[in-house]
Amino acid sequence: MKIRTWEYFIREVFVSLKRNSWMTFASISTVALSLLILGLFLIIVLNLNNMATSLESQVQINVYLKDELSDKKMEDIGQKIKKLPGVEEIKFVSKKEAMERFKERLGDQQTLLTALGESNPLPNAFEVKLRAPEQVKAAANLINEYEGVENAKFGQDIIDQLFELTKMIRIFGFIIIVFLALATIFIISNTIRLTVFARRKEIGIMKYVGATDWFIRWPFLMEGMVLGLLGSAVATFILRNSYGAVVAKIYDTLTFLPLIPEQPFLNNVSILMVVVGTAIGALGSTISLKRFMKV
Amino acid sequence: MIHMSEVSKVYENGSSALNNINIDIEKGEFVFLVGSSGAGKSTFIKMIFREVLPSKGQLIINGRNIMTMKEEEVPYLRRGLGIVFQDYRLLPDKNVYENVAFAMQVIEAPRREMQKRVNSVLELVGLRDKLKSLPSQLSGGEQQRVAIARAIVNSPMIVIADEPTGNLDPDTSWEIMKIFERINKSGTTIVMATHDKTIVDAMKKRVIAIEDGCIIRDEVKGAYGYED
Repeated sequence: MKIRTWEYFIREVFVSLKRNSWMTFASISTVALSLLILGLFLIIVLNLNNMATSLESQVQINVYLKDELSDKKMEDIGQKIKKLPGVEEIKFVSKKEAMERFKERLGDQQTLLTALGESNPLPNAFEVKLRAPEQVKAAANLINEYEGVENAKFGQDIIDQLFELTKMIRIFGFIIIVFLALATIFIISNTIRLTVFARRKEIGIMKYVGATDWFIRWPFLMEGMVLGLLGSAVATFILRNSYGAVVAKIYDTLTFLPLIPEQPFLNNVSILMVVVGTAIGALGSTISLKRFMKV
Repeated sequence: MIHMSEVSKVYENGSSALNNINIDIEKGEFVFLVGSSGAGKSTFIKMIFREVLPSKGQLIINGRNIMTMKEEEVPYLRRGLGIVFQDYRLLPDKNVYENVAFAMQVIEAPRREMQKRVNSVLELVGLRDKLKSLPSQLSGGEQQRVAIARAIVNSPMIVIADEPTGNLDPDTSWEIMKIFERINKSGTTIVMATHDKTIVDAMKKRVIAIEDGCIIRDEVKGAYGYED
């Protein structure tokens, strides 16, 4: 197609967007809403996944010891752990130290400790750092077998739970997104149907004078794509401006959460949203063209 | 130009519109198609630009075999045809020039050629002074002249007209017929379905009469032959 033809198509698209301005507005809003929710779910799922993975990549095992072990016995266990393959560093944390750390973490809620009285229920422990996360599970299993070891933990439970949660949100999100996508396609195809209707005379004449089917289709296809593109632009704009603020808020209260930094993450999500939005627009028009215009 | 042999058309609802039509129309001919309403004239006309596909037989237009033609080829068949309707079918929001240029635009004709060509066909139909007028500002005859200009702007081999004077008074009809005659003189084949007895009788062109889906008469310098 010639450049002049494309100019003509673009002009036609904007004339018709203006002609059906209410439908245009409705279409863009629905696309925006749907994509906003898509983006939101995407961000949540990816962040949870990121959290789970970052926890998984931590290379620390906490080895809790049984009470009433002699210093010699504890020393032996320490030596044995040190000799395990992949162990980089080992640090002893006594009952007393553990209690102090606990107090620190409680902050201004020290009153909780009064219930304990003088007793200290926290065990003596080793913090074992390994060189690679793949070695963690095997090492923890070995250490668990040692005499005098209560248990060796490396956060597997929480990782499993996080993955489980991610999976559920993913399924739930997928269902919602499919419904929204269908609604969006419906709205767009309706808008295009109105355009086809407004132009039926013109379409008829175009066919009689020998315009090709694609020449007739393009303006309608482009109109759907423009609706999708504008809707996704709105959604992307909202998402980009709120993500930073939300991340900052979370860091204020929950410092330890490993959230995905804004860039290039947000750019990738934006690109995806724009692509999906445009594709949905094109699909909506195609459906309308198939049903209402025999070209 | 137009070759039909043993062409029949039965519509999906079972009604038979044309039955075993054999006809040849050569380049440069001017042919009137007459017959009462529902006789099959419209089907005959529509088959030429492949709005309607024959059920049976052989149909060749401008050297293209209609029966084996793919959907994608239809636009190229139509570029070799000019079609004029009783109800003009102009775009109401485009002016005279734009309405005619539209036909060249949608087949992506070069712009230079477009200006020259549109002006020359508007000259031919006598509307050079109304380029900027909208269809609503024109009389019926003028609107039909715009439609004729649009039909011939892409220099078709055949012009097909379905009751082009059906909505016009006798004087205006004559003006329209003179334009068709001028177009015909330049070598363009014209096939016209009409009910206008006076015109057919006066013009002394080839007349093909269709009744009940069959050709009942085909005369070289014919007359309308019916009493309305």
